[in-house]
Amino acid sequence: MGSRSVPTPSDSADPARALAFRTHVEPELEVLLRVARTLTGNPADAEDLVQETVIRAFRALERFDGAHPRAWLLTILRHTNMNMHRRQRPDLVEDWAAVQGARPAFGAVGVPIPEDTVMDQILDEDLERAVSSLDARFRSVLMLVDVDRLTYAEAADALGVPVGTVMSRLSRARNRVRLHLRNTATVQGRNR
Amino acid sequence: MITSLRRMLTCHWSARRIQRYLDHDPSALLAPGEVRRLEEHLAICEKCTQLAAEHQALNRALARWPGQQQPDPASLARLHEAVDRLVNQEDE
Repeated sequence: MGSRSVPTPSDSADPARALAFRTHVEPELEVLLRVARTLTGNPADAEDLVQETVIRAFRALERFDGAHPRAWLLTILRHTNMNMHRRQRPDLVEDWAAVQGARPAFGAVGVPIPEDTVMDQILDEDLERAVSSLDARFRSVLMLVDVDRLTYAEAADALGVPVGTVMSRLSRARNRVRLHLRNTATVQGRNR
Repeated sequence: MITSLRRMLTCHWSARRIQRYLDHDPSALLAPGEVRRLEEHLAICEKCTQLAAEHQALNRALARWPGQQQPDPASLARLHEAVDRLVNQEDE
């Protein structure tokens, strides 16, 4: 952690560039950190990854059109992560994805919910066990969309896969976790 | 017999759309006709309503995922400092 290779003065140009950088990047730092945490699996590596991402974004600012800063940063984050970890964890790196969205995941349209459903008694340890049992490709999508609250498109940017792939992996991941939890509850005769 | 078969087909059709319906993601919104058909089915099908409820419960549980929702404030502060360093260098 801490300071990394700061760009040289030759990277600098004018205050407007600095202002643009701050405007684009600062609002996304928290999202980047959450996504990086999901991608790397630990807070220290996540912070390093975001620091490196910020530096690369600064150097690449001239090539950014200003339209979708989150998507732009997530793409840089993905490439940075691949470069930093390709040698150690190619499979893991390949599959993790992206950012918090304004979309209210689930619940945008109300559905009557029986509060006594078995799934409403989910325990954290059961959930963690169910999620950890997923293949990394499925787990990463689930975490990015349902935990980090990215949209499908943002998750696709972070993982470098098409939106359709995000949707299919997400659907399968949720169904597997749901069935795992349902089976757990059935086996335990859940009345906790 | 025909009614049961039709219901079964609608359950299958609905099951493939329930997550998109609940997510309401801008990349994959259901068409108004699909929403209407799905909601009509949910109003009469206990099995599909239960499925939707399970997905909602799972989503609520994942939203509480330990340690993930709030990044470490110190870590976030260091990242803001990193941005400051870059930007201040630009201003010099």
